[in-house]
Amino acid sequence: MWHVTLRGLQGHVVRLLLTAVAVMLGVSFVTGTFVLRDSIDNTLGSLVGQASKGLDVSVRSVGTGEVSPVSVNGTSTVRPGVPLALVETIAAVPGVARVVPNLQGTAILAGSDGIAVRTGGAPSLGFAFTEDDPSFTLVSGRGPTGPGEIAVETDTLERAHLQVGDSTQAVIGDQAREVTITGEVRFGALFGATAVLVDSATARRVFAPDGMVDALVVTAEPGVSHVELRAAVATALPANLEAVTGATAQSEVETSMQQGLQFFTTFLLAFAGVALFVGSFIIVNTFSMLVGQRARELALLRAIGATRAQVIRSVLGEAVLIGLVGSALGIAFGLLIAAGAKAAIGSFLNTNLGSGLPVHATTVVLSVLVGVVVTVVAAVLPARRASRVAPVAAMRGDVGTLAGGVGKRGLIGLALLVSGALVLGTAVTRNEVSWLMAGLGAVAAVLGMLIGAPLATRPVVRLIAWPFVALFGTVGRLARENALRVPRRTATTASALMIGLALISGTAVLAESVKASVSSAVTDELTSDFVLNGGNTAPVPAPVADAARELPAVRSVAAVSFVNVQIGTLDTNVAVVTAADLADNFAIPMAHGQLSALGRHTVVVSETLADDRGWHVGDTVSGTVGSLTGEPLVVGGIYRDIQAFGSMLVDHSLYAAATPTSQQVDAQLFVRAVPGADLPALRAELTHIVQPYLIVSVQDGAEFADAAGASIDMLINLLYVLLLFSVIVAILGIINTLALSVFERTREIGLLRAIGLRRQQLSSMITIEAVTTAVFGAVLGIVLGLGLGIALQHGLTSQGLSTLAIPWTLILGMLVASGVVGVLAAGLPAVRATRLNILAAIVGSG
Amino acid sequence: MTITREPTTAEIDALTDGDAVARAEHLSKVYGTGDAKVVALDDVTVEFGRGRLTAIMGPSGSGKSTLMHCMAALDAPTSGRVEIDGIDIDGLKDKTLTLLRRDRLGFVFQAYNLVPTLTARENITLPVDIAGSKLDVEWFDTVVDTLGIRDRLSHRPDELSGGQQQRVACARALIRRPAIVFADEPTGNLDTRAGVEILAFLRSSVDDFGQSIVMVTHDPTAAAYADRVLFLVDGHIVDEILQPTTTSVLDRMKRFELDGQDS
Repeated sequence: MWHVTLRGLQGHVVRLLLTAVAVMLGVSFVTGTFVLRDSIDNTLGSLVGQASKGLDVSVRSVGTGEVSPVSVNGTSTVRPGVPLALVETIAAVPGVARVVPNLQGTAILAGSDGIAVRTGGAPSLGFAFTEDDPSFTLVSGRGPTGPGEIAVETDTLERAHLQVGDSTQAVIGDQAREVTITGEVRFGALFGATAVLVDSATARRVFAPDGMVDALVVTAEPGVSHVELRAAVATALPANLEAVTGATAQSEVETSMQQGLQFFTTFLLAFAGVALFVGSFIIVNTFSMLVGQRARELALLRAIGATRAQVIRSVLGEAVLIGLVGSALGIAFGLLIAAGAKAAIGSFLNTNLGSGLPVHATTVVLSVLVGVVVTVVAAVLPARRASRVAPVAAMRGDVGTLAGGVGKRGLIGLALLVSGALVLGTAVTRNEVSWLMAGLGAVAAVLGMLIGAPLATRPVVRLIAWPFVALFGTVGRLARENALRVPRRTATTASALMIGLALISGTAVLAESVKASVSSAVTDELTSDFVLNGGNTAPVPAPVADAARELPAVRSVAAVSFVNVQIGTLDTNVAVVTAADLADNFAIPMAHGQLSALGRHTVVVSETLADDRGWHVGDTVSGTVGSLTGEPLVVGGIYRDIQAFGSMLVDHSLYAAATPTSQQVDAQLFVRAVPGADLPALRAELTHIVQPYLIVSVQDGAEFADAAGASIDMLINLLYVLLLFSVIVAILGIINTLALSVFERTREIGLLRAIGLRRQQLSSMITIEAVTTAVFGAVLGIVLGLGLGIALQHGLTSQGLSTLAIPWTLILGMLVASGVVGVLAAGLPAVRATRLNILAAIVGSG
Repeated sequence: MTITREPTTAEIDALTDGDAVARAEHLSKVYGTGDAKVVALDDVTVEFGRGRLTAIMGPSGSGKSTLMHCMAALDAPTSGRVEIDGIDIDGLKDKTLTLLRRDRLGFVFQAYNLVPTLTARENITLPVDIAGSKLDVEWFDTVVDTLGIRDRLSHRPDELSGGQQQRVACARALIRRPAIVFADEPTGNLDTRAGVEILAFLRSSVDDFGQSIVMVTHDPTAAAYADRVLFLVDGHIVDEILQPTTTSVLDRMKRFELDGQDS
């Protein structure tokens, strides 16, 4: 039977190649993701290794938080600091060659154009320059020796278009100043971050104003092992501090970086999954049609004694070969993707990620496995159907396509869709949203839509084809009837597009709703006149708030910071405020208690959180706030859910106690003017204040909302690009189905041409069929996506996503685009059909 | 209906030298090159009379189908000239040929070749529809009633018997009153009774409507319905019979078979 398989492949090379391409696209995503991850892993490893040179033992406070997070939004718990005074004590420990405090903070550099050097979301780092620090090398010039001098990392310098000897503006910690660049230093890859070095004295003053640093870096004398040194250092430490070896500290950093990368990998693999899932529809369709066309041949095989199992094996054999070819192509294409993505990330972050694409054996094995398994699984149903061809069919001349009915299966799908939708609807409208139930409902609805799609084919395709029939007459009608000929096939082809577009429209509903919610939050809740923002990665330097408060036209300035709070299962970053300033800048409706109750031990919480946890005003709970553990917190008030802030607000005094002084930063400032103030003049004054701080912007409410929307748009655009892959796979599917269907209808097309159908009419007919199929998929996808998006928005209402917005323009755009997709997909099959030799087509296989 | 009477001299003149609806001059068709070279038609010159039913007969591989395909602008000859309804089709572009087929030719095939997604009525009016012209309802009724398929018009091909499908195909061929209808083994897939009905219709469309028909067949009974039978052997027209009968055709065929064995 093996040669029968090979013959089967030979007979349909082009078709099977298209199928292999569908497999390829999915697999390439898998390969690309892993190669990219391994490649970044290598670079990260070398970065951490470079940064850890000279780090034999690290001294830090006991705790669980990350060491040295430079974070605006309080992403994680923090450790309390280590006193600088300890440096001398540890230096005296036998075996210690050198003790360097880890002085680091924010340092923003203005480029030659006077604008802050762009970091693409990465932090702007400042370090202390120490002459013999092995973690960097001085390339040219000399180290900084006074407050007006800095050394700059090579890539940063290049991006700033500055040279050693130039003068520029910089913001070191909280201080804006004029600086001269005295030297250039080289680190490993910084992933887009910028690095500026200042002299030790300045670093201590700016980065450790309270005399505390997050860690001390201890280097051993030659011949002293890290383990020995750690033990020796540990004996000199008070109980609240600990010493760990460099290897431990390094692996902790690597682990935490890899966890960050894990999210990225999972994210990309999800898209690989979508592409493969969509691809599997093409595989099912291709095999179904090939098996249908070969029904007579298969029947003959059965008639001459081939068993059912042999027929199945023959079809599955083809699937294995296609899976292998597709996977091989996918690995090659995946390397291209990884190389491209790496170059894109590198240029976006202005960083050198190193050369080489590490291809581990596991990557190859996994890619091939995924490709082959998906192909074979998708081919199982068609193979089973092939085996059911009766041997007697070989004797009859009338073996056509094996078109199945739509009845029972369609109804099962419909039932699944309806019940899934009901479950999902119930789940998100309950008081407490059940995400497990919602997820199950959503999965059932999607499966139901996939299984039930053939049932929708007839009515929906008729509706979509209506304008074409009206416009093109018979040609339109022929096209419509072709699309309806095998409803299940049309539905499967359309489903491939459906998946991609459902994801896109669902995401768009969420994105649009987020933007609308932000905008309505600004309208309904924000009473400020201006917002001062440091961007996503850098805080607003403390002097800005002080200077703004001095302005006569300013009534109040609400400085908002963030701190991590963990109470039981709750783990969230909450806003830090002072009650009076907040009340002046935001409308916060209280359900119980007073906002002014906020204090060192008193918090206010949202109604949803209070209901959820059964908290009442006056209750005391215990939790972790920043570096404080087991902190008793009194619920001082409960506010009605608002969009501007999450589930809890804490007072600035609590933040001050829970966060090392060097890490206390203002994320945003909200400024309220005195009544009747000249707002343009105030804006000018505020702009003047922030100007030396390079990245701080002054926005009014509308601009603030727009800026938030713009950052959402950027994220969404990235999603669209990734989802485009699944749409490309879907287009391949339409091409494949059309090509096969043209092949199936060779005689009919020959006849139409013989009785006078012009080439252009034939080409229109195939194009209309493709457009109808594509738009059908788009309609199903949009309906599904809207449903899921609306449900998700509803479920997230209490999380601040209270306004539903439907992106109608995008939906219209998708419908039009799907039509274009149809036209594009029809191109090749139409050309093939119009080039058919009429005579051969009619006489062909009599 | 069988032709039993002897043809008159005037009739014979009309059939051979009279008005021709299509003609071929020095038509040759060669497939392949070198050793694989096959001469399907070898310098054939022939005329088909207007308002006549002409049958082309010959053994397999004699070139009878090739002749018809060349005459019907479905195949291009290697050399020679084809004229259809006064139009020299040599050098015409595909689009012009398509329009020529659409507007002046009709086809009936052995395998019916109806469009399975369309009803009988839609299949019949298809040539009118794709030309975007207006249906001659009176003519449609005449054809449909003559063929006796009025009660089958709303059915799809798979709901019709072979004979009914072929009658729909005949109606489709005639619906635009083409200059000439080409029928390729129109009874080849049918049982005797259904075959007779189709042949009778073709005959009456010649007699009653003045339709010109060229029919390829290897069935002597079918050929007997024609006004004239051409015999093709090895790409040459070797003989013809005017006003043939089943017996006369059979006799002539036997002679060719014997010749074939001799050579």
